[in-house]
Amino acid sequence: MLLLTPILIVPVLAGLLCLVVRPPRAMATTGVLAFSATLGLGIALVHQVLARGVVTEWHEFLSADALSAWMVLLISVVSLATSLYAGRYFRRDVAAGAVTLGRVREFFVLTPLFGAGMFLVVLANNLGVMWAAVEGTALSSVLLVALYNRRNSLEAAWKYVILGSLGLALALMGTVFVYAAASKNNPQSLPSFNWSYLMSVAGQLDPNLLKLAFVFAFMGYGTKAGLAPMHTWLPDAHSEAPSPTSAMLSGVSLKIALYALLRFHILTTACLDSGFSRYFLLGFGLFSMFLAAPFILVQRNLKRMLAYSSLEHIGLICTGIAMNSPVTIFGALLHMGYHALTKPVLFFAAGNIHQTFHSLEFRVIGPGVVKVLPVTVLLMGLAGLAAIGLPPFGLFLSELTVISGGLSAHQTTVSVLILLALLASFCGILQQLTRILLGARKPGDHISDARCMDGVPAMTMLLGSLLLFSVWLPAPLLELLHQAAAIIGGAP
Amino acid sequence: MAALMLVVQLLMIAQRMLLTNIRLFAIQSLLLAGIAAVVAYYHNASHVYVVAVLTIIGKVIFLPWLLNRLVHRIQIHQEIEPLLNAPTSMLICGGLTLVGYVVARPFTSLERLGNNTLAIALTLLLTGFFLMINRRKALTQVLALLTVENGVMLAAVALTTYGLPLVVELGIFFDVLVAVMVLGILVYRIRENFASMDTSKLNQLKG
Repeated sequence: MLLLTPILIVPVLAGLLCLVVRPPRAMATTGVLAFSATLGLGIALVHQVLARGVVTEWHEFLSADALSAWMVLLISVVSLATSLYAGRYFRRDVAAGAVTLGRVREFFVLTPLFGAGMFLVVLANNLGVMWAAVEGTALSSVLLVALYNRRNSLEAAWKYVILGSLGLALALMGTVFVYAAASKNNPQSLPSFNWSYLMSVAGQLDPNLLKLAFVFAFMGYGTKAGLAPMHTWLPDAHSEAPSPTSAMLSGVSLKIALYALLRFHILTTACLDSGFSRYFLLGFGLFSMFLAAPFILVQRNLKRMLAYSSLEHIGLICTGIAMNSPVTIFGALLHMGYHALTKPVLFFAAGNIHQTFHSLEFRVIGPGVVKVLPVTVLLMGLAGLAAIGLPPFGLFLSELTVISGGLSAHQTTVSVLILLALLASFCGILQQLTRILLGARKPGDHISDARCMDGVPAMTMLLGSLLLFSVWLPAPLLELLHQAAAIIGGAP
Repeated sequence: MAALMLVVQLLMIAQRMLLTNIRLFAIQSLLLAGIAAVVAYYHNASHVYVVAVLTIIGKVIFLPWLLNRLVHRIQIHQEIEPLLNAPTSMLICGGLTLVGYVVARPFTSLERLGNNTLAIALTLLLTGFFLMINRRKALTQVLALLTVENGVMLAAVALTTYGLPLVVELGIFFDVLVAVMVLGILVYRIRENFASMDTSKLNQLKG
């Protein structure tokens, strides 16, 4: 039975269907149904991968191993929650006159296409196709960032598309160099440009050319993954996009770019048999974590603060993988999952706050949001505690796994640095959130349009599954993560 | 022919009129298509002909037409107004060319097309970045991005006997077309909202 093909086709069909469906409610339902279907297919894929190792289709054009299957699950869950939340969010925006119906349609057409692009990134076996798919996700999300058509959102979209395209041009150069490295010894044209083939001949590739290729790919995909110092588009795009899009960008899109980067890392490590690519990940990962903390502390805008928190989490994932012990890689992959369940909740809550107060500036919305939107603030507070890594939430567990794995692998310096960076952003986010969420309202302001039940289903779904998977990881999922960690950490 | 691409690039840097710049980009793409056709002829690789034809359709005919139309539709001032003047820019790009040649040196043995194609490809990449920084109008930044892309495609032709696999070439081709359309939409909206195309006015988001 075909599994990978429907995962790609269902969201594309859903996007096309939204071109013809009239009522916004039906468009939202289409999105929800499509991503529920891909989630189901993703779970089936996990079982197939566990049974057979690698699932391929169309003469290995599409291929999924444990790592891709894990990413498929993340994309499905975040996109599903986003579609659940988006229906109500845009109904309110249309009622308030913030967007036209045409723009809402644009959202519901582009979001499934954005999702399909991400699915293609993780399922494509061919390096070049993967690049084209990453570029596709960038192009579809640019229009989503510019959806409100305000000055600030256009500025954010422009920065995003220019930096993203330049970065992806570099990544394409890296891809070309890999192809050159592979075809150097082949007088004839290369049998295939697939990961599976390249990995099997990794030892025979030209090491110098591959080093050059990795540096290009790192700068390119690193820009898209928002690693500092190429992150400058990230807070702008996350803060100016509509909240459902921010959730998709932060929840999965960054990790998809990181996935592309990881594939290059795996290939380079297998070829060079040294830590060349690892040190790049380590340096940039730690730098991202340390850069995020002070920016969180001085932020005056809610969604920009959340964006810097994403930067910190991406940095942690990078660092965990770079420490290259089985435990830290496992912890980093787990962290990807928990972060994908947590960050959208925060962005959804920020969306509710934005629609109620018509601003994201701290001085306008705070203090005392809890008096106006009690349910939103409760869920946001819980997700905030999860994001800074407090138990019982899973992020505490995964951060602890990374740090303890680092310590037991005798990488004390890095582990201590991670701990310091985590502590700094812990204090930052806690201080900022308590400042605006709690306390008494300023006298004299009057909020007429507070709807406290908005977006609750999507948020409780994510928080509920976060809590569930924090205390109970099903055996197949655990096995999948172990296999994915083994794929990344295959060589020294 | 690769060297001619570099000459065209330097002309673009010195040029001050927007429409001439678009024409120069079309000429550069035509040269790229010519190189691809020569490679296809010598290696008897039929799918590289497809690449040459796609380049002519996309980058020599369609994209310049699209950009021209955009220029007329939003009726912008023709002058480009770079940040640095032409002599300084030329001097910097001379330096960048040197960097390109130095980086490409260790890899000259890989090339199948004489020994400076990769160097020129890298130089196109670097000077494309410089063009991007040096120009403030949104449309000229789009042009800079396209020259960067030309550089990458030149590297693809220079380093591999038979070019990239066809499916990849097609993917890149359509991505570039869609990218320019998306950029065009954004340019149009920026023009409507800011009554200008000067990207230095996009300075609200900081920190």
